[in-house]
Amino acid sequence: MVRLITHNLLACHAKGCTSNNFPLKLQDVAIEVREAEFNPDFVRGFLPRLEWKALVQAARELGDTSLPEEMPEMVDDGFLKNLHHVLLEIHIDEGAMICPNCGHTYPISNGIPNMLLAEHEIG
Amino acid sequence: MTSQYLFVFAQAHAEFRIPELLSIAELYSISIQFGVEDLSKLDVSRPFMVLGLDSEEDARKLARRCILIKSVHDFWASGSTYEELHDCTRRNQHLWQKYVKDTSFKFRVDAHNHSIPQRRQRDVMESFDYMNFLGEINMKAAEIELCVYEECMYTYPDKHGTTRHKLEGDGQFIAVYFGKLIEEGTARPLLTKFDVKKRSYFGNTSMEAEISLLMANQTLASPGKLVYDPFIGTGSMAYTTAYFGAYVYGSDIDGRQMRGKGSTPGILRAASQYGVAERIMDLCTFDVTRNPWRCGEMFDAIITDPPYGVRAGAKRLGRKKPFDDQPYIPPTKPYELSALAVDLVCLARYMLKPGGRLVFFLPTVNEDYAEIDIHSLLCDGMEIVANSLQDFGSWGRRLITVKKTTAEKFPPPTFDTVPASADATAAFDTPQHIPAHKDFREKYFQGFKKEDADKPEASPVGNVAGSLAALRILGDVTPNEQTTVLDRSL
Ligand SMILES: C[S@@+](CC[C@H](N)C(=O)[O-])C[C@H]1O[C@@H](n2cnc3c(N)ncnc32)[C@H](O)[C@@H]1O
Ligand SMILES: [Zn+2]
Repeated sequence: MVRLITHNLLACHAKGCTSNNFPLKLQDVAIEVREAEFNPDFVRGFLPRLEWKALVQAARELGDTSLPEEMPEMVDDGFLKNLHHVLLEIHIDEGAMICPNCGHTYPISNGIPNMLLAEHEIG
Repeated sequence: MTSQYLFVFAQAHAEFRIPELLSIAELYSISIQFGVEDLSKLDVSRPFMVLGLDSEEDARKLARRCILIKSVHDFWASGSTYEELHDCTRRNQHLWQKYVKDTSFKFRVDAHNHSIPQRRQRDVMESFDYMNFLGEINMKAAEIELCVYEECMYTYPDKHGTTRHKLEGDGQFIAVYFGKLIEEGTARPLLTKFDVKKRSYFGNTSMEAEISLLMANQTLASPGKLVYDPFIGTGSMAYTTAYFGAYVYGSDIDGRQMRGKGSTPGILRAASQYGVAERIMDLCTFDVTRNPWRCGEMFDAIITDPPYGVRAGAKRLGRKKPFDDQPYIPPTKPYELSALAVDLVCLARYMLKPGGRLVFFLPTVNEDYAEIDIHSLLCDGMEIVANSLQDFGSWGRRLITVKKTTAEKFPPPTFDTVPASADATAAFDTPQHIPAHKDFREKYFQGFKKEDADKPEASPVGNVAGSLAALRILGDVTPNEQTTVLDRSL
């Protein structure tokens, strides 16, 4: 926690921050790898929801280079296993996510990101 | 080929029985013959039902997953007297003929809400002698168990049989059933497993085990699905949903509800206790009306017990230490229940995959409730699947199951629903119905008095402290009213 699947689903939502607000930049992160049961159907089913470039970039920043630059057209088991690992097994326990556009900092502590906005940031 | 099966149900949450059966039947593609056209005509106050199924395997699947099933049986006979029962058993010899020759067996003679004295149990067993079972009677390891159930007339109103003598009314029943046990309801013991009192982390908003399990079943939770609780609190429904195999996302405006004390978040500690920590996908702190989800159509189901009375507005007063989101109490503004419910359905339409389900509780004033209250929550593409009342007397809460029946794309909700009001509806020639759940919190505190009532009625729980305690059933406590989150592990 925060897993990379989650990082791929969260965007800055501060007032007026509607473009270039994704992906959030990872800062000072402490990660841990924890094994998760492999469910190929889940991973395959989630592909259409992913922002691929953001995922690859986040994985590489955290030292995992197993994913190809482009989402492959043919999806085999080996690929799904790598994707499973990246999406579900890498956890960010401490650190922060920062909006590339407005600079808002979303801190992560004990694996829970605080996505609350400040008063002046509410639309 | 369809055969008939005798189901024995728990005498609890009667209105949840059929929705649960239908949900699990849908999950496993089982077809159930109820024997009536209109399911609302079924008498769910009675613990026994005879249902048609395609196979014994289907009966087992239901018994392993439905919380309200106590046991399922091959149905052989029923009657309003033993004479009738035996006639029926004889007529149905083809159903039991194959066990006559050499199958070891034992009998179970039971009455619902009554214990039959041993002597009479023996008499009942002997009255089946004509079946001529040649196998041995084996009390420990019988191959089959033959079950006789008397449906006592003392079910209502004397529910627990406490005020009458043990033997009073023995032998008086409205029906008696006979069949062969197929499977005990193995999901029912989950009530004990998920008992809140035995949980390493819980709080005053935690949802009781039985309801959390029933809710999870309404979501059709199963491996590989992704389910979301946007008001996750201490996570009660996350555990049951994850237990059935689904991944669960949770969020809450109040991080303390999810964390408790200690470094490992409380929800993860409780999830570990149930062996499902790994299926808690992630927990996030945010106001769902100001949510950071990048896209919609992600979830197979949304399961939630919304806060009914306050909207914790997402406001922050500036943090002294940037990495400290410890006790921060956001100022709140009212979030009127009828508006919240409309927003929730709309959010679900955006966040659910086509075919996905929203399962949530809506408290309401029983006397004023009308079916339109629920229909007025819906938007295009969202349809009611089930609506079951948990009755607390003058008020109750309804477990609503809504299905997204459209594949059309919708924008995220704007959360600016204006609650229905008498003023607004007066503008129409025909005044609109004001939902009974509108301003539920206020009505609750007033003891559901009508404004024009001449006589003051007693508050439903007697006093304000009592009201507060009962409102906690609804988890409707503002941070100020909140007592500390209970944390067993510390
Ligand atoms: C009825 S409780 C849910 C209880 C939960 N089922 C449990 O097992 O503890 C409602 C929760 O909604 C949260 N809440 C209230 N307003 C919210 C909002 N605008 N956004 C997100 N969460 C909110 C409260 O902090 C509370 O934990
Ligand atoms: Zn931003």
